[in-house]
Amino acid sequence: MPDDVKEQRIKEAGNSRFLIWLITLCFFVSLFPQLVHSQTEKNTSLAIRWIPNPEDDRKVLVEVSGFSGVTLRHLERKMLSPAQWQQILAVYAGETNLAMLGTYRIVKDALQFLPQFPLEPGIQYRAVLRTLPGQAQDKPAPTTSSFQLPTRNTTPTTFVRQIYPSSDTVPENLLKFYLHFSAPMRRGNIYEFIHLRDSDGKNIELPFLEIDEELWDTNMTRLTLFIDPGRIKRGVLPLEEIGPSLEAGKSYSLVISREWKDSVGNPLKTEFQKSFRVVEADRTPPDPAHWQFTLPSGGTLAPLRINFTEPMDHALSQRVFTVFTEARQRIEGTVTLESQERVWVFTPTQAWRSGKYDLVIQTTLEDLAGNNIGKPFDVDIFEGIDRYLRTPTVRLPFDIR
Amino acid sequence: MKRYLSLLLATVFVCSLLVSSAVAAKWTADMKEGKLELKSAGPLAFGPDGILFIADTKSASIVALATGDTKATGNASLKVEGINQKVAALLGTSADQILIEDLAINPISHHAYLAVSRGRGPDAVPVLVRVKTDGKLEVLALDKVKYSVATLPDAPADAMTGPANRQSNPRRESITDLAFVDGRVLIAGLANEEFASALRAVPFPFQNVENGTSVEMYHGAHGRFETRSPVRTFAAFKIGKEDHLLAAYTCTPLVQFPISQLKPGAKIMGKTIAELGNRNRPLDMIVYERDGKRYLLMANSSRGVMKITTENIANAESITAPVPDKKGLTYETIEGWTNVDQLERFDAKNAVVIRRTEGGAMNLETVPLP
Repeated sequence: MPDDVKEQRIKEAGNSRFLIWLITLCFFVSLFPQLVHSQTEKNTSLAIRWIPNPEDDRKVLVEVSGFSGVTLRHLERKMLSPAQWQQILAVYAGETNLAMLGTYRIVKDALQFLPQFPLEPGIQYRAVLRTLPGQAQDKPAPTTSSFQLPTRNTTPTTFVRQIYPSSDTVPENLLKFYLHFSAPMRRGNIYEFIHLRDSDGKNIELPFLEIDEELWDTNMTRLTLFIDPGRIKRGVLPLEEIGPSLEAGKSYSLVISREWKDSVGNPLKTEFQKSFRVVEADRTPPDPAHWQFTLPSGGTLAPLRINFTEPMDHALSQRVFTVFTEARQRIEGTVTLESQERVWVFTPTQAWRSGKYDLVIQTTLEDLAGNNIGKPFDVDIFEGIDRYLRTPTVRLPFDIR
Repeated sequence: MKRYLSLLLATVFVCSLLVSSAVAAKWTADMKEGKLELKSAGPLAFGPDGILFIADTKSASIVALATGDTKATGNASLKVEGINQKVAALLGTSADQILIEDLAINPISHHAYLAVSRGRGPDAVPVLVRVKTDGKLEVLALDKVKYSVATLPDAPADAMTGPANRQSNPRRESITDLAFVDGRVLIAGLANEEFASALRAVPFPFQNVENGTSVEMYHGAHGRFETRSPVRTFAAFKIGKEDHLLAAYTCTPLVQFPISQLKPGAKIMGKTIAELGNRNRPLDMIVYERDGKRYLLMANSSRGVMKITTENIANAESITAPVPDKKGLTYETIEGWTNVDQLERFDAKNAVVIRRTEGGAMNLETVPLP
């Protein structure tokens, strides 16, 4: 099944799960007044209800009804502080005795508490209604009402969609992996779920650059995993006692543990393993002069193909190329990568017109070892700074006939 | 005479008030007042007059927030057990859904500030929590505050994705540490696509950050392999009469840079003055003085908390060749300071730490500096 069809189905499955969850929630909430009523029958005049917030039905608010109009007007006039409100009505998450943040308001004949943040599935919430100071006629004994959103589906559905580079051979000085997941993941202590193992199944110690902030994309479906630069084998200097992460001639597996949780809190469907063989280090910068172009014909939507003759960085290859007409008009289109990131494929949204074009490439493009166009990864450190600041480009002209 | 004296004293008092408010206004004059919407809250650092700098990685920006927390409290300690559980309770969630991203101490009030993430997925909500010296927790209301924002110089322009799709650009720049030094906010960062770590100096009050005021520099004294590593944590330190930046890297070289050389476009050669050992990454670093001597205190992922002597720092040899394990400035590991996740200076005599306990609770407390 093609990836985009799979993706659509996963999305649809996700949508329908959400719908079922929402319907269950509405049903549960609609039932709740009766449930609460049974818990609060000691104080027949007062009732606590958990109801959808009319201004945002994805949120739930707590409503206490049954106060006299005099009491409510009195409370309204008093302009109570949050701490004073909590003396009257406090809402707690779980077993804690520290009240949740939220705002209080009087509406018609009821007091309402609006939690500052949405309630979470799986947590038991408690609303405690205490005695009103100086209001003898309404003095209820402390009354408690509990509420829990339906727990989410706990069946694991998220999986590792792909690991880049997708090639099964990588250079000894490989710089990074990208892990792509089928759904958003959960942050925090992620490195304990990622293992690099040698051919004997033994874990390589601290092979990656562990960044507390974790290098996620915005959707949290892609993680960048840098090999620790201190663990990349160099040609000149001997490495310290800890040794390099990867050595030429050896085979390794990158193992993603099933225990890693997605953003919903479910573990992955299965463990994922990417096995690969390590070959000699690559210290040659990519050279566009050696790339092979396959040009489409004018009047067609056929793709422009460029064979790099070596795999390029998956993320950068999709971001650093731009096609322009001779008049500097940008050609819109989509980019895909083929042959294990060796071939760049650009399909225009409108048919090519015959004429001259330029392919403009930012020189920050990296191959698998982090070599940029015109600059190997580990040579003079200052050579590349201006380049990075100014992000210069290389221009490759081509003709469409 | 007495009357004149009291009049004089009153005048002096009023003048000093005016001067101090003018000094304070210098920092906040360009700020706007309104609702501050953070997309994320990462590293924190305090500047002058209760101004809190917040790294908002998701917006690729640094926010300066006038907290208004500018009065001394006189309290000399802080202690909150289970800070993660208490923050979770306030935010109506469970402790496993709380990430404490960073800790900063307001040097005036000594209240602690936490950057917290409520949730651990893409919809996580950033929250700033103030831990008062009386142990009470408050969530900072950001509906009506004075603030200013410095947007970090743009990521290299999107090519094929185009401006319309900028939202979906997966490139992000993570910020690993932040400090206010000598009128500038120093920002260490690392991108998630092209591999280039950067240290930027942005003058505060924020001006035209986009106009090339960013500094990129690499240190190169230590062979080659460190040259592209990101700075993990840093601290300002005076060597002789000159302000320096001491930067710690993974695995664990300590490198000094003169702050005066942090200029737009500058290319600075760092001097590696210590190798503190392998298999380690530094978490936080503070500077303090004891018995007339200055020390660095560094929390680490796997080598405990190090107390590093700086007596010979002015004459420290530059380490330019690989070393098997340790070299340069020496340190002792402070016993008992285990599982320290966050370390900040509280006052001249105390540090504040957040420590993990076995049950998963995290304790925030002041500890006398060793």
